[in-house]
Amino acid sequence: MNTVAITTVRRESLWSKAFYKFSRDRTGMISLVFVLFYMLIAFGVTLGWLATDWSDVQGGKWEGMSTTYWFGTNMIGQDIFSRAIYSTKTAFEVGLVVALIATAVGAVIGAISGFFSGTWIDEVLLWLMGVLDSIPFYLFVAAIVFAMQESPYAMHVAMISTFWTGSSRLVRGEVIKLRGLEYVEAAHAIGVSELGIIFRHILPNTTHILLVQATITFVAAIKSEVILSFLGLGVKDGMSWGLMIAESSQEVMAGFFNNFLAASVLMFGLVMAFNMFSDALQDALDPRKVS
Amino acid sequence: MSGQDNTALLEVRELKKFFPVRGGLLQRVVTQVRAVDGVSFKIDKGLTLGLVGESGCGKSTLGRAILRLHEPTSGQILIDGQDIVGLPRSRMGEQRRRMQIIFQDPFASLSPRRTVAQIIREPLDVHGIGTAQERERRVIELLADVGMGAEIRDRYPHEFSGGQRQRIGIARALALEPDFIVADEPVSALDVSVQSQVLNLIAELKKKRGIAFLFISHDLAVIQHVSDEIGVMYLGQIVEHATVGDLYSAPKHPYTQALMSAIPVPDPTARRTRIVLEGDVPSPMNPPAGCLFHTRCPQAQDRCRTTVPAMLNVGSETNPHRVACHLQD
Repeated sequence: MNTVAITTVRRESLWSKAFYKFSRDRTGMISLVFVLFYMLIAFGVTLGWLATDWSDVQGGKWEGMSTTYWFGTNMIGQDIFSRAIYSTKTAFEVGLVVALIATAVGAVIGAISGFFSGTWIDEVLLWLMGVLDSIPFYLFVAAIVFAMQESPYAMHVAMISTFWTGSSRLVRGEVIKLRGLEYVEAAHAIGVSELGIIFRHILPNTTHILLVQATITFVAAIKSEVILSFLGLGVKDGMSWGLMIAESSQEVMAGFFNNFLAASVLMFGLVMAFNMFSDALQDALDPRKVS
Repeated sequence: MSGQDNTALLEVRELKKFFPVRGGLLQRVVTQVRAVDGVSFKIDKGLTLGLVGESGCGKSTLGRAILRLHEPTSGQILIDGQDIVGLPRSRMGEQRRRMQIIFQDPFASLSPRRTVAQIIREPLDVHGIGTAQERERRVIELLADVGMGAEIRDRYPHEFSGGQRQRIGIARALALEPDFIVADEPVSALDVSVQSQVLNLIAELKKKRGIAFLFISHDLAVIQHVSDEIGVMYLGQIVEHATVGDLYSAPKHPYTQALMSAIPVPDPTARRTRIVLEGDVPSPMNPPAGCLFHTRCPQAQDRCRTTVPAMLNVGSETNPHRVACHLQD
């Protein structure tokens, strides 16, 4: 695109300002380090470097913590540490897939809805959001799991099809504000098409909302995954913190807490770090505070 | 094309823009806001029509309706004799190249996530003018035209002051080489020291390129400085329309007289009578019967309350001075 060679001055976009602001937020940076650490673990598991033995029956029943089994073993002698680490990948996978797709769908539908607010297009989309929001979540998941014949992605589909409405409503509100601004009128005056205005002029100015919303959806998806797996509606052929907690419900009665604690602590750490990261991101990206 | 004959560059005939007000359970249209209520005027090539009036009188709506940023309710907008009201999107595109707009608020008129070069190049991209290289070169020319250097092309709007942003907005408006520009209060958000720079830039563009302007402002000093003719708007209608000289030396309409008397005179010993208008501007949802101004007019008579005054020419045929007031009979 930039075929003409011109000495560029230092670019100071809103992004670089936001990045600078974030880098000075100590809580934000610490939480980011935690999140990145979890992400590395998830990558390691995905690439087959970590926790490959999560399903092997290795030791005896309910062994305590040792150098071989850091968190001990479960009822049938599997390594709890391996299982908890492996579950990190499951959580990340669900979180990323759901957050990315739900936010993208919400952004596009919310932008169209907001841009055409006051017309039948907006009415139809609002009605759709209202219908989806009014279905009880766990009933909806159960229905989808049943309809999708126990597919491992039933949980993802259910979360995406309900979580997008939150982002969509937020984006819609922002777009209604933005579409009256003069730079949008300028684009109309230039002759930019309606779709061009939505995708080139309006949506880029909602990215601060989308990024924050994606992190919130990410956390919500992880928490839902754990609960759904606990209820037997989530992960089918793999390991998840929710499944570990489900297993431990029998163990806790017998006074063995390792399984329960390992899953809860790891999940708590990730959710906490991600929430703090999300807050810091929100502060850094807020255009009223940036520019 | 034409222009030698009687066809003006821009002619507006009986333009109306009403905004529906909805209410009740079924969101029916209960009433209309008559923002622009039957406005007619002509602008010739290279001339500037100034439009003054209080806030809320429909100046900006009129400017936007001419560009069809608000779809007119009725009336005609003729560009070189061709009516653009109701033109389909495909044919409106060519007309958009001929007319552009400069906005009031330079902080809202540039997208914060696009660079200066992207902003100025967009009109060229949309209309497919030139190759990529030519467009890049054109952006730099346009920046030079508004007195800014090429080195700012990759910077973002928030790095500039109000005056600089307004120049960038003007460069964007110039990119399509329009014949006609609506300047909607282009300096009222700027510091006084910067106002004159932007006004001089606009005057220069007018002289060098023969661009016609519809210059909207509430500042009588600014409008006197830039305009050839002036239209005075009140409640969505033009009540007086004359050349700058005539309007400032001999205002005919009581509303214009009241506006003129509010201009400060830089002479402490000068004696002048200020006409202070009573009350507020009536609501454009429910405009008064008869002359729109009779509720505040110090000289109102009985017929003003019942009969709508016609637009009269109190000047000559070659130098018209139109005014809508019963007192001119």
